[in-house]
Amino acid sequence: MKRKLDLPLTITLSALALFVFIPMLSAFEFSIRTPAKGGYGWDQYLWAIREEEFFYYIIRSGWLAAVTVLITLIVLVPTMTWLHLSKSTIRPFVDGISLLPLVIPVVAFAVGAQISFPEFVQDTVLELPFLYFVLALPYAYRTLDIGLNSIPLKTLTEAARSAGANWWRTIITVIIPVIKSAVVGTVAITFALSLGEYTLTVLLHWDTFPTWVTFVAQENILGAIAISMMSLIIPFLVLTAVTLVSPERSTQGRK
Amino acid sequence: MTPNVIEGGAPSRGRASLTSFLKNVAPALPLLAIIGYFFLFPIGRLIYVSFMSNENTFTLDNFRTTMQEPYRSGFINSIKIGLFSAAIAALPGAIAAYFIESRGPVKLRRTISVMSGVLANTGGVPLAFMFYAALGIQGQLTKVLKFFGWDIYAGRFSLATFLGLLIVYLYFQLPLMVIVFSPAIVALRREWSEAARNLGASQLNYWIKIGIPLLFPSFIASFLLLFASGFSAYATANALTIGDIALTPLQIGGLLDGNVSAAQLNLGKALGVVMIVISAFAVIPYLAIQRRSARWQKQ
Repeated sequence: MKRKLDLPLTITLSALALFVFIPMLSAFEFSIRTPAKGGYGWDQYLWAIREEEFFYYIIRSGWLAAVTVLITLIVLVPTMTWLHLSKSTIRPFVDGISLLPLVIPVVAFAVGAQISFPEFVQDTVLELPFLYFVLALPYAYRTLDIGLNSIPLKTLTEAARSAGANWWRTIITVIIPVIKSAVVGTVAITFALSLGEYTLTVLLHWDTFPTWVTFVAQENILGAIAISMMSLIIPFLVLTAVTLVSPERSTQGRK
Repeated sequence: MTPNVIEGGAPSRGRASLTSFLKNVAPALPLLAIIGYFFLFPIGRLIYVSFMSNENTFTLDNFRTTMQEPYRSGFINSIKIGLFSAAIAALPGAIAAYFIESRGPVKLRRTISVMSGVLANTGGVPLAFMFYAALGIQGQLTKVLKFFGWDIYAGRFSLATFLGLLIVYLYFQLPLMVIVFSPAIVALRREWSEAARNLGASQLNYWIKIGIPLLFPSFIASFLLLFASGFSAYATANALTIGDIALTPLQIGGLLDGNVSAAQLNLGKALGVVMIVISAFAVIPYLAIQRRSARWQKQ
């Protein structure tokens, strides 16, 4: 790739940067104001992390997202690998229903969820990871699908099987490492979506980090802006770390 | 519900023996169970209940009410904001995706894709704050514009109006366009433009005869997805407006929370079903086009 200054690309990036950063930096400027003293400081951020609920909700949202990722890894990855390998006639069906959540507006889904589950499901916050899993499914499914399509799955599995590995071992030690970047992508999408999910969570009356921000906004607006900034920056850093650490392997096969 | 579901009839052929059923379906059962219980069941129940009167008898009254005020304007406004925000974001997003994917170095493309992912998911209170900070009455950009002689608050503008909401929606619609349109750009092969040039085509010729016709279906598909996204957005509208614009997602939220009461208990469910139908008109063609273009995009 040439590194010469590319005019159209530079213009595009500058326009995008203005569009993205003007609102973001404006909010940042508000979040570092210190009205009592005048001038700027990190007071609001310090206030936020000293709030007891701050870490409570970060941890809560974090583990809910982690459970969603776990469901994806335990259920979705092996099932899709199997669907790609076997000549199962249900694959078109699974393809279809996995993309279906895209059709359903989250608000409508929330209403459906509210009137459907028995109390013992509605009473546990563990219903959320399963619902988040459904919301992330179309994206997770497609990312994995592209990854699985781009490798010689059959050859790899036959080699592993003839070398004596059983199914599980084949999936864990052979397939997953090969489709690592697709799995990383899937995990990133699922994690980010679960961490930031607001609509379904609030309509089902659960409290997580994103809904807590709304609550804080009613009592300390600058503090809430500070928390909002963190809620944007944290997923960004986590996702950047995840994607940059993952090996340079383009699933699109483009060099 | 959709043509996709009908394909589910296929496995019944394999019922001949238990073993073939086990081989064919069993490994997918955990996934199907989760999808079935946490997705198909609530949606099925939603549709069922939307046809129920307060006395649990069959009725179409809930749907009749969805077509009356204020729910009628709710749908009109929601469709309008979906269409406008998609129409405004689609072309700039597509062009940005083109320059980034075709000319950007790998590291840049990755960073942009992560950023787009985060930005496309921003919404609600954090997004409302950003725009109040920039374009609110005390906003930074408002002050800058005022300094240059343009007082955006001279007229009736506010972020809680339709126009205000539209501007805010672009903040997640544009990154969404970059995300959904990029794969089509990636799949455009360099060989094609080289071949066209070798055969004597100009740059313009290449775009008119090859580039645009190839990208057009994906462009329309992305537009449809953006429409669905703008049409159903709840969190941002909820944070920015205080019920001054009728929007279906907010009306459903209000009914669900019991903030708003209606004579018909199941009105919210009927509104939800109508939303699903409208959204399906956009998303199903999107999925169909995606599937078709996936054929030539496969390498």
